[in-house]
Amino acid sequence: MSWVKSVTVDSEDVFDEDVNDIILQNKEWNNNMGKRVKDGYRDGVDAGKDASLQRGFNIGYREGVEQMVAVGQMKGILSALQCWCQLEHPGSPAFSSISHLLQDVSRHEEAQIERMKMSIGQPPTASVGEITEGVEDMGMEHTDTGCGGGSCSKTDCCKKEQTPNGDATSLQTPCQSATRPSFSAEESVEQLLKSCMDLVVELGLPEELFRHLQQLRSA
Amino acid sequence: MNSESGKEDPFDSILMADNRFHCEAYKEGLLEGTRQGLLEGMSHGKTHGARLSTEMGFYYGFAFGWKCLLQNNTDAKSKKRLKTLETLTVLIQRFPHDDPQYATLLQDVEKVRAKFRQVCSMMNVPADFREYVNVAAGMSF
Repeated sequence: MSWVKSVTVDSEDVFDEDVNDIILQNKEWNNNMGKRVKDGYRDGVDAGKDASLQRGFNIGYREGVEQMVAVGQMKGILSALQCWCQLEHPGSPAFSSISHLLQDVSRHEEAQIERMKMSIGQPPTASVGEITEGVEDMGMEHTDTGCGGGSCSKTDCCKKEQTPNGDATSLQTPCQSATRPSFSAEESVEQLLKSCMDLVVELGLPEELFRHLQQLRSA
Repeated sequence: MNSESGKEDPFDSILMADNRFHCEAYKEGLLEGTRQGLLEGMSHGKTHGARLSTEMGFYYGFAFGWKCLLQNNTDAKSKKRLKTLETLTVLIQRFPHDDPQYATLLQDVEKVRAKFRQVCSMMNVPADFREYVNVAAGMSF
């Protein structure tokens, strides 16, 4: 605002109203520029969102699919076993073993879906790699994830980097600790699959079923 | 606002300041918006992907399980059932489950649901798996 300042210095002996006028103009200028910055930022956020929502959706979608395949199939297999047991061997003790396991699997599935629903609209829970992938695919540059040490434990340890020419080209990337809570969920799928395989062996069911569950477990 | 005005025509820089402020803020906003969009899209996508995956996985597991149980039966009724179960598994595997923008996703999902209902009635299984059939599958913004 050097031009405004120089005018105020030169005009010490001018009427007060003129000084007020200049202060007013100065204020107006600042207001206008502030508004331009706000508008620009908002337009940028809108454009960025529009361009990245679908990509984010696709990435998340793939993740969700992968995460639930085993649980879904296990539920289907156990349901088939339950129906078969009911029709072919009514009153057999196997029926209640199957039903119990099926209940466990259903509970696990519901809890997983519920957790995903809860995370909507909450602070970021995505990993650095996924976001970076998404940004790279969109042809946007980034410099550093801002989390070199890998020892940060909070999601808001973001850092913005500037390139030498002053453009902010990095993306604020949330970092997370290495121990994710979903670890226990995976463990539980593993356990459910193990119980399912044990049950298949116990009931003397076809080998093919056992092999299929084994495949799900290693996938 | 202060460093460049010395080098450039000060009048020009005043006129252009308007634009420059807007542009720089826009760039910053674009990055933030991209980040927000990705994260928001991901959490929504994850739920939808998980729903479709559990539904399709359930049908597949159900068909696969029955196939294993019936595979050694040679009577005509079992053969017919096995054939329908086979059709269901083929239908499920015929389209990509991890692409929410796959062109005929909704139609393919509907075909699978219809075939599943047919399998249920064929197996004398009460189709009280209705919770699955009503789940919306999909899709995109």
